[in-house]
Amino acid sequence: MSLNRSFFVPLDSPLHRLNPLTKLTFVFAMILPAFLSLPAFAPGMAIPVLIAVFVGGVQRQYRGLLFKLILPTILFMFFMQSVFLPIGETVIFQLGRFDVTLEAMQTAFLTVSRIFVMVSSFAILLLTTHPGELMSDLTRRGLPPQFAYVIISTLQILPQMQAKAQTIISAQRSRGLDTESTFLKRVGAVVPLVGPLVFGSLVEVEERAIAIEARGFTSTRPKTSLHNVPDTNADKIIRWIFLALVILSLGGRIWLS
Amino acid sequence: MAIVNLENVTYKYPLTDSPALQNINLRVDEGEFVAVVGPNGAGKSTLCYTIAGFVPHFFKGELTGTVEVAGAESSTSSLHEWVLNVGLAFQNPFNQISGAKYTVFEEIAFGLENIGVPRDEMKVRVEEAMKLTGISDLADRSPYSLSGGQQQRVALTSILVMQPKVLVLDEPTSQMDPIGTREVFGVIRTMAERGMTVVMAEHKVEWIANFADRVVALHEGRILLDGKPREVLTSDILLDKGFGISRYTSVARKAKTRGLWTRQQLPVTLEEAAEGFQDV
Amino acid sequence: MNITISNLHFTYPNGVQALRGISLTIEPGEQVGIVGQNGAGKTTLVRHFNGLLQPTSGMVTIGDWDTRKYSVAKLASRVGYVFQNPDEQLFSRDVKTEVAFGPRNLGYSSEQIQSQVNEALAMTELSDKTETNPYDLSPTWRKMVAIASVIAMDTPIVIFDEPTTGQDAANIARIANVIKTLRERGRTVITITHDIDFCAENFERVIAMSQGRILLDGSANEVLGQEDILATTYVDPPQLTRLGKRLRFKKTVRTEEEFLAALRG
Repeated sequence: MSLNRSFFVPLDSPLHRLNPLTKLTFVFAMILPAFLSLPAFAPGMAIPVLIAVFVGGVQRQYRGLLFKLILPTILFMFFMQSVFLPIGETVIFQLGRFDVTLEAMQTAFLTVSRIFVMVSSFAILLLTTHPGELMSDLTRRGLPPQFAYVIISTLQILPQMQAKAQTIISAQRSRGLDTESTFLKRVGAVVPLVGPLVFGSLVEVEERAIAIEARGFTSTRPKTSLHNVPDTNADKIIRWIFLALVILSLGGRIWLS
Repeated sequence: MAIVNLENVTYKYPLTDSPALQNINLRVDEGEFVAVVGPNGAGKSTLCYTIAGFVPHFFKGELTGTVEVAGAESSTSSLHEWVLNVGLAFQNPFNQISGAKYTVFEEIAFGLENIGVPRDEMKVRVEEAMKLTGISDLADRSPYSLSGGQQQRVALTSILVMQPKVLVLDEPTSQMDPIGTREVFGVIRTMAERGMTVVMAEHKVEWIANFADRVVALHEGRILLDGKPREVLTSDILLDKGFGISRYTSVARKAKTRGLWTRQQLPVTLEEAAEGFQDV
Repeated sequence: MNITISNLHFTYPNGVQALRGISLTIEPGEQVGIVGQNGAGKTTLVRHFNGLLQPTSGMVTIGDWDTRKYSVAKLASRVGYVFQNPDEQLFSRDVKTEVAFGPRNLGYSSEQIQSQVNEALAMTELSDKTETNPYDLSPTWRKMVAIASVIAMDTPIVIFDEPTTGQDAANIARIANVIKTLRERGRTVITITHDIDFCAENFERVIAMSQGRILLDGSANEVLGQEDILATTYVDPPQLTRLGKRLRFKKTVRTEEEFLAALRG
């Protein structure tokens, strides 16, 4: 089974070398202006985001995400908002009994720009940051380890749940359960699939709790970390710069309004 | 010197009427390898969990009697300190992977991170443990990409790296294929040879006969027999109570009634059976 | 009902070639054990028998049905398949409802369902547990519920995938009994197993697989005696077979009766 468990691309780029918190600051330095500052900022923030993709050297992987995930999502949203938002007077064309207005299209463009910036900047974080390092750095800074554990293990265990669901479906189909023909039959097939999945997960969760407990997970001693996640002065300076940019852009918004 | 000492232990899981363990008295000496046999539901897992501290700390329920390991008493200890003395591995290798780590090396270091071992020492200990269990070549693999036998060896290594005084194993090979079984038994054998105290629930009788110092037979929550592997594993008592017995024992028992087995002691292993049948 | 497999190849979507040219016929009423290391292709092969997998090339027919032309739900009336882990299929509130699920899907009349369910429960020694919730039973008994729920479908062919894994001696004996009863009723039983002693004692025909091919196929004594070839797919001969070899018996033995007879003669 070759299931991809993390987006991380192991490379040695300037972005990879940054401390995870610095990259997290970058993500919010992109998102906050896009959502809260002047509307022009939303598409504008796409430029630094795309530059970051190249600095991180993850163009190929980002392109994959762009075409498989990001573009289909935002195109769908753009279409829905343009057609169904009941605003504006400047009708550009009609689709069935819906008027597509310039104002609706502008709003739709703003929305998808924001979504684009948000998803893309998170994608850059995940593509250039080892999830273990992200969590151990955040844990070191005070994030509760239980919280970090839940996030990471969920990401890893989801593909396993998928495989398990597949086995359950196979077992029930072998007992003559029709999961393929009509819609009604599919709906009726939900209980025999979900029941074992839930029960199995309960058993798994209990055993995994025992396993990590046996390895001192709830120990009260101060934890240490296998990986040294460097946090340089450059990191700190970059974080202050990002913070300043966010304040400036939001301040600009307030000042102009 | 006893490192594990259970006295008059009786235990009931929450919301159950009948005890899972009844009046258990068990002493295990330092360096001893004790195998626990019994049908499903006899209390093998419960006994393992009791020594490992999860009964009653994790499962709750009612425990009477005393459980001592390395001089500490279970009822007055906290589980997170207890696990430093007693390592536990169980059947399903997949559920023992923490899920928090991306490589085998990180997975094995997980326990050491939790108990605050300094980074340099951590690396040395992980490397040594992997060498001991023969999985150094898996260090950079994802724990999820491994076979069952490899995963189980990673689980064992993850426990051994914490340097427990006692190792408790609950049927670690029951879900393995023959290769996995061989690999996992190989590791356990190494541990036993290095003088680790081991308590292991296990079905595979022939293997037990070769490597255990002592066998405890559990039935309906009670200790039925406790003694030398050959005496326990060939006892007539096991036959009536649904215990797994070796084919060598069972065929020699039949041969004996027909005068085709002349030794007093029934065999458990291939070697013993071959020798004994050559007499005839 | 015949199972005919001709030149079956199967490649998983990730490119792993799991079956590389399998041709095989299984006659009605045969008892077949399939052995071999993990990854040899055992499960991939039997999942073709009820259409869970479709050939990449080649053909599988169950009686007069080409599996490519029938849905899994349809093939379930001819091939019952007991999965390894009962917890990956049990969902009903009591044992009898669980066991009736399969026959109900196959559209039998309620009297027929009733009688098939009762028979399956008797065969698996569950008759006193019909009202119990399967999850209140021990894992051992849950395994029997999973077996009963397939037996109750009353199919001419029954497949078991690793039936003895995690089971104790008493339950292995119970499962062996179920297989014996099925044999007496003329059903075809195909079992994948790592438990070579169980295989030796319950199956007349044994197929050893390795790397997507059939390594050996013949009577149990023929196959299980070939220590060197079995070793290439990490299968040890059964205990009594090994003992017989050690004692230089001329014939391969695998059961206690055979062993004792050879010892005397």
